Amino acid sequence: MQRVDTALNTWFAEEILVHEAALVRYLSRTWPQRSDIPDLRQEIYVRIYEAAKHKRPTSPKAFLFATARHLLIDRARRGRIVSIEAVGDLEDLNVLIDEFSPERRLNARQELKQLVNAFGHLPPKCREIVWLRKVEGLAQSDVAQRLNISVRTVEFQLQKGMRILAQTLLAKAVMPSARTRTATGDASQKEESDDGIQ
Amino acid sequence: MESSEQTERRAAEWLSRRDSDTWDDRDQVELDRWLSESTANMVAYIRLETVWRRADRLQALGAGLPSGKVPKPEEFNLSPFFGEPVEIASPPYRVSPAWATAVSVCLVLLVASAWYLWPSSPDYHTSVGGLASIDMPDGSVVTLNTDSAIRVELTPQRRQVRLDQGEVFFKVAKDSQRPFVVLAGDKRVTAVGTQFSLRRLDKDIRVLVTEGAVRIEQAASLTSRQSKPLSLVSAGKLASTQGDAILVQPEPPAKVEESLSWRSGYLIFREDTLSRAVAEFNRYNSRKIVIQDPAVGSIRLSGKFRATENEAFVRLLEGGFPIRAQRNVENIILTSSPVP
Repeated sequence: MQRVDTALNTWFAEEILVHEAALVRYLSRTWPQRSDIPDLRQEIYVRIYEAAKHKRPTSPKAFLFATARHLLIDRARRGRIVSIEAVGDLEDLNVLIDEFSPERRLNARQELKQLVNAFGHLPPKCREIVWLRKVEGLAQSDVAQRLNISVRTVEFQLQKGMRILAQTLLAKAVMPSARTRTATGDASQKEESDDGIQ
Repeated sequence: MESSEQTERRAAEWLSRRDSDTWDDRDQVELDRWLSESTANMVAYIRLETVWRRADRLQALGAGLPSGKVPKPEEFNLSPFFGEPVEIASPPYRVSPAWATAVSVCLVLLVASAWYLWPSSPDYHTSVGGLASIDMPDGSVVTLNTDSAIRVELTPQRRQVRLDQGEVFFKVAKDSQRPFVVLAGDKRVTAVGTQFSLRRLDKDIRVLVTEGAVRIEQAASLTSRQSKPLSLVSAGKLASTQGDAILVQPEPPAKVEESLSWRSGYLIFREDTLSRAVAEFNRYNSRKIVIQDPAVGSIRLSGKFRATENEAFVRLLEGGFPIRAQRNVENIILTSSPVP
């Protein structure tokens, strides 16, 4: 059994996950099937994590996009509908990355704004439970008691909250899509959105 | 292999258990075992955990509020932190520095070459593969795509541009006293303050409006000032003429962006046929790509490409498809290669 490598996990969160919005945009421009994107993203993360176990890439962002491109080309060769990213050389690829990805390092204030924005997008029930747990700091059992619901329901809503927050904060952080924005007005719709989070 | 969605659900289950008040060492052992089962589990968990930890900062929202009351999204009061109500908007469109430099270089060149023509009737043109952006004295900005030519006439009474060939994007400065008129053959496109692109295909035109609205008219003859209206085209619509008929159709925003990607030197395809992709590339390169095999032309592809890099495009085609390229001085011929 492998030991959990905390330093590697921190590196992964700070150097790779911060570029998720840019990665997802890149994938959705390049790959025709939108529904494949979560699986592609996961496969890319797996490849990067495996590689970084042995040696951390010196330029994580460039490595992320190079990995993405290789994966797409692999997939393209196997599939019938083919999607390729024509970038003559690595220099071109860098141009592409810069264009797609405004600098993601946010200051504390911007970060809080994004978090509040993402929190506002949670469905009402879910938002209430996340609020009690995270803002008021109640234990899960106390949240259940306060709302007169089961602990299982609390857990379930928290799971949903985590996944939606991840989706909004990581995958869409920089440029919220039109769909995410319209979801604000009708939170119940959000649950059935094609983010697939229910 | 499990789908990423299933893995993410499992990761969320673990994380919510980890977050509970009954978590103990035995649970931790089980979690560690699950994490070490696969790297997919590990990355899915890190991803959610990172976000969940970041969400601790939501505590800032609770400041000054009575306990147990969950405010509505528009009621979050962050003024103690921000000194202003929270307003989260999408960031402004950013122009990449490389593009900005390219524009300013073109500008300098064009201004320099046009200087002695001014003010009579400056002409601008781009060669094959060229791209140029021109700031007009009235504040409008005109961007020329590959192989395009315009003639500009600005007087106190009117603003007129003749599109002799090619494709141009107009960002028209508002001036209700002087309408902005573009003449393309016998077609006349009139705007007040708006943004649109206009492509001339011999006698017909394609007009894509991204902001405001334009009026399209057809002149009775090339020299006549009389004209008959064809259509009023509003933002988000694409109008294509065929003789004196016109088709106006809505364009989804993603498609609009693709259609205008040439302004940053790119071509974007989304499941388009190779024939169409090649036709587009050939607008930007003097060394043309020729498809000799109908089967090759019907292959579909998606992607984003530098318009002037048809060599790189062909290399990718060879790598990703059963296609063979024969490189001649004046062209590149594509045929299907036998499957090995």
